[in-house]
Amino acid sequence: MTMKCETAHESIALAVYGELADDQRHQLEQHLTECDDCRRELEGVQALVKAMSLLPVEEPSANLVARTRLRLEEALDAMPRGGWVLRFSQQFSQGVNRLRSAPVAASALLIAGLTAGGYGGYRAGAHVHDAAQASLIMQAGQAKDGTDDGSDNGAANDPDNRTAGSRTAQIANVSSIVQEPGSKKVEVRYNRLVPESIRGSLADPDIQQLLLIGAQNRVNSDVRGNSVGLLAIGCRAGQCSDSAVRNALMVSLLYDNSPGVRLEALQGLQPYVGDDTKVRDAVLQSLMNDPDARVRTQAIGLLEPVQADSSVREVLHTIAAQDDNPQIRDVSQQVLNQVQQVQ
Amino acid sequence: MPADALRFASPFSGPSTAGSSAKIQSSRGMTIDPQARASETELIREAQQGSRAAFDALVRQYDQAVLRLALHLTGSEQDAEDIHQEAFLKAYRYLGNFRFECSFYTWIYRIVTNLCLDLLRRRKSRREDQAVMIDASGEEMDLLNNVSDERASANPDRELSRKVLGERIRAALEQLTPRERMVFELKHFQGLKLRTIGEMLHTTEETAKNTLFRATRKLRANLAELR
Repeated sequence: MTMKCETAHESIALAVYGELADDQRHQLEQHLTECDDCRRELEGVQALVKAMSLLPVEEPSANLVARTRLRLEEALDAMPRGGWVLRFSQQFSQGVNRLRSAPVAASALLIAGLTAGGYGGYRAGAHVHDAAQASLIMQAGQAKDGTDDGSDNGAANDPDNRTAGSRTAQIANVSSIVQEPGSKKVEVRYNRLVPESIRGSLADPDIQQLLLIGAQNRVNSDVRGNSVGLLAIGCRAGQCSDSAVRNALMVSLLYDNSPGVRLEALQGLQPYVGDDTKVRDAVLQSLMNDPDARVRTQAIGLLEPVQADSSVREVLHTIAAQDDNPQIRDVSQQVLNQVQQVQ
Repeated sequence: MPADALRFASPFSGPSTAGSSAKIQSSRGMTIDPQARASETELIREAQQGSRAAFDALVRQYDQAVLRLALHLTGSEQDAEDIHQEAFLKAYRYLGNFRFECSFYTWIYRIVTNLCLDLLRRRKSRREDQAVMIDASGEEMDLLNNVSDERASANPDRELSRKVLGERIRAALEQLTPRERMVFELKHFQGLKLRTIGEMLHTTEETAKNTLFRATRKLRANLAELR
């Protein structure tokens, strides 16, 4: 036997359709000379092929072609202009393809989470800010009232009768006026806003509070920079056991527009990298994402006490491989090498 | 008589007598000369940049072949029309994704065969839902023998029986799985190479070969059952 009948049957089907390789065809021919079964199989397949001619393939009628072309054209006309649709769908699918790589998606998620968290933090901070400012103003006002009352006590017993002259400067706006019925008395509600200044040591909680507010000054970056710088100095001196200050520094580190302010914040956080995991994560975050090379370099130095930490090593690996700045790549590689030697 | 048995060529040129013009046309689509290919590439690029005229020209190059395939496969002008419409709308929408990794011919056929397979699958599940046997006539005849003898006997009912036989063959084809039906259609009726078919159906030539073999086997069994 030159080949098995099973194989021959398969070959026959292929041979009939001209899809058999020449060598296999030769084998089949050999086999057919000596196998009646397979010859009958061949006849069977040939008969099938012939029978199929009863279902001829017909050319579509001119009518059908014209009709379909017209229908297609109408549908295409109804579609929005091809140019930008095509380009948009192209770009979209390319974008999706690029995004498809899991690491990118993961880091995008991380960034989204941090942004949301940061924004939440900012909002909460803003509330605290408003409240703090309000209470400071209140306190300042009360303190003034106290001294005023003290000196005025002898002159006028009724505080309502005090001359408004000294106050007009402090009135920001009038919020409501109500006349008491049947009398000439009027109740005026007004808000006061007084520019104040306060002197004190850096350790003074009031000063700290003001510096925290100053660190969130969106308008004036000098105020922000000075506040953060002073808070940072306080922290380096070990004076900020208060987590609010640390939080403020972390927010500045991650979200401040000015690289100088971010650098100050980074320096202030230095003593806490070892113990506070939140601080460490913020520094890692800044190392990964900060656009300014100085901040990133400083961040690498800051991580020294926690170099052996696996999350830190991971980030350093990433930085050593991917940072745009060759120097930073070198430095992080050196740090990694040191860590490996130590271990 | 081995000499007789080995005449592969003559019998299998048989089925194409009816569809020979179709085969030549469709293969012309595949082996276009370099110049035509270059101009087709040009057309595709223009269409990708949003030129409707270029896309229309592409449609005209392929729409008859698409209709022919869909018409024969579905046996219904309405279905063929729908497939034609859907296929070219899809091509228009996704032309930007065409990266010249395969020929445009293969790409457009891929879209068409996918749509056809969907249709066949829908039909099949509908038929199974109905659970109705199509085998209505009680007529007894050996289809395969009948066809073989057809030319010799001068049968007065020849036209009628041709029609009946055609119906039977369609019924036998409908017993195939959609994929077997598709491979058989592309190979037997449209005369494509199994390698191209594999490419269109996202599979290997080897799998296409096996599918074709299974299809012929089932068809013979089905046609014998119809006696």
